[in-house]
Amino acid sequence: MSLEMLKDHETVRTESVSETEALVDVRHLNLWYGPKQALFNISVRFPKNKVTAIIGPSGCGKSTLLRSLNRMNDLVPGVRVEGEVRYEGVNIYDPRVDPVAVRRHIGMVFQKPNPFPKTIFENVAFGLRLMGVKGSELEDRVVEALKRAALWNEVQDRFKKESGLRLSGGQQQRLCIARAIAVEPPLLLMDEPTSALDPIATQAIEDLILELKERYTVVIVTHNMQQAARVSDRTLFMHLGVLVEEGPTDLLFTKPKHPYTEAYITGRFG
Amino acid sequence: MNRTHTPNAFGVDPWKARIDRVFARALVLPLLLALGLLALLLGDTLYRSFSVQVVRADEGPGRTYPFGLSAQEILRQDLLARGYTEEEVAFALEDPKERQVLFLQNRVELMWNTQDGPFRYVVTGVYDERVADFSLAEGLRRWNELKANLQEGERLVLNPWLDQTFLTRPPSRSPLTAGIGVAIWGTVWVLSLALLIAIPVGIGTAILLEEYLREGRLSRILEVNLRNLAGVPSIVYGLLGLALFVRSMGIGPTILAASMTLGLLGIPVIVVTAREALRAVPESLRLAAFALGATRRQVVFRVVVPAALPGMVTGVILSAARLIGEAAPLLLVGAAAYVPFLPSSPLSQYTVIPVQIYLWISQNQPEFARVAAAGILVMLLLLSVLYLLALYLRNRFRREW
Repeated sequence: MSLEMLKDHETVRTESVSETEALVDVRHLNLWYGPKQALFNISVRFPKNKVTAIIGPSGCGKSTLLRSLNRMNDLVPGVRVEGEVRYEGVNIYDPRVDPVAVRRHIGMVFQKPNPFPKTIFENVAFGLRLMGVKGSELEDRVVEALKRAALWNEVQDRFKKESGLRLSGGQQQRLCIARAIAVEPPLLLMDEPTSALDPIATQAIEDLILELKERYTVVIVTHNMQQAARVSDRTLFMHLGVLVEEGPTDLLFTKPKHPYTEAYITGRFG
Repeated sequence: MNRTHTPNAFGVDPWKARIDRVFARALVLPLLLALGLLALLLGDTLYRSFSVQVVRADEGPGRTYPFGLSAQEILRQDLLARGYTEEEVAFALEDPKERQVLFLQNRVELMWNTQDGPFRYVVTGVYDERVADFSLAEGLRRWNELKANLQEGERLVLNPWLDQTFLTRPPSRSPLTAGIGVAIWGTVWVLSLALLIAIPVGIGTAILLEEYLREGRLSRILEVNLRNLAGVPSIVYGLLGLALFVRSMGIGPTILAASMTLGLLGIPVIVVTAREALRAVPESLRLAAFALGATRRQVVFRVVVPAALPGMVTGVILSAARLIGEAAPLLLVGAAAYVPFLPSSPLSQYTVIPVQIYLWISQNQPEFARVAAAGILVMLLLLSVLYLLALYLRNRFRREW
């Protein structure tokens, strides 16, 4: 399985997503970190109000693809992007687009819980304050976000005083989800959100993801194939910066079409 | 039993353990030595700051006052005691343009330009006069003998030189009435103005280097220069201050010139500590803020700086503690030997605690050694308070990320 063999690979697609169903439409995306190319000609559509999982072995570019959906890669020095990422029809890599504004519309949850060293309230209020929300509206929306992130029952009596860092790992991750969804982003990106958590906390987050897809479109990167099978509607399999195969999760896991996909999901590499 | 045949894999090697113990002790030894020397130094200073003295109340027409009263208060009480009414006293002390109050060695003077010419009112023998002075050991040994030989009106006292009045009195040519009040105020003025200059510049530079320039060429050049600057002897800063601020800019030997010099001296230390505090803020917090749609400025000022603040404050306090102890550069930029008045503006003449101590030690009257010892204690006290504050802040805001 060499890079050369995959370079001109045409993605295997099953039941592909139509343009009207898609919230995000990635077209011929190539990305370089300095001289090294990390993404090769990726074209894929992420359907609205569905959970899409990105799986693949380490270093296959899953996180890079995820981060190019909200231009977080811009923060890496020496990064270069070609191609288009259309978000509701607008190419977010258009030079007239402000990456800061893009990130305000797209929420993101990271691998390790990273709450700010502030109170729980201030953590969730951060994005809202950036948008100029104040007073009682601010408070209502913070409470709403905590409820939606299934954290409200645990913190309602102390969320204004206690630091976000005092919560347990799973609670911290739910706090980060609350922080991300407080600004009501239509799209929520999750970069291995449970890889630093224990099984019980993972369970809670997975339940949460299933609830969230009612309101949000979720793209989740995961190392864990069972997790992808449990939470996602569609799955993308990537390898060496190439999108090898994509399709509905149940079909991809039961009837993979590409030999690499089959090898990966049966555990022969990765 | 085949136990004897197998090597004792989990046994203790007595020699290794012994070498380990010796090594650990060898590491502790220099620490103990340093602590012992410090304790000795402190003990010696404390010892020197006490003496046994023969004092005599002044027998003139005046009366002696408790230590620590201001010149105005002494004048007021004295005038009242002589039968002037409250209104007259208030009038005499009222107009600061017309009258001048002087607090000299052991007397207070009121000078007042009236229509009939200058008017001068003097209160002498304000304090008890110190007649003789013995070291603590000698004084205690000869206590009874000295007590037997006391003259009329004299008393024998164990005198701590570091008393309340020492902290408020102005300096004096006589060790008996010399105080550190003016130097304390000088230090407060110079240090606050110096920090006012050094904090914004230092922290601003640190933020620029750490959050905006990161791995640029400029950042590396500045970094090397800052580290060099932090190592430059402070007297070189004094020379710079003398040439630039005192002479070229014509500020003269004033508090302002001293603050600018000390401010320059403090900047590298503040930059280095503030950068370390900023670097300790995990990258994941910056990413989280960026992902929420914060601009670089919002990331820096709403997330990174608040998170790094405890570390920055600790750094500022430590650099302040260093600046308090600086005498060399200030000798060059004009800390004066004898300043009888409290500084009133950034353009006042001034002296600071370490310079005052240095000047006392270089006097040839032996009692000045006691005054200097008391001054050193004041400075050590001040430094301890600052270090404790830094320690407190560090523990209070310690974070686990």
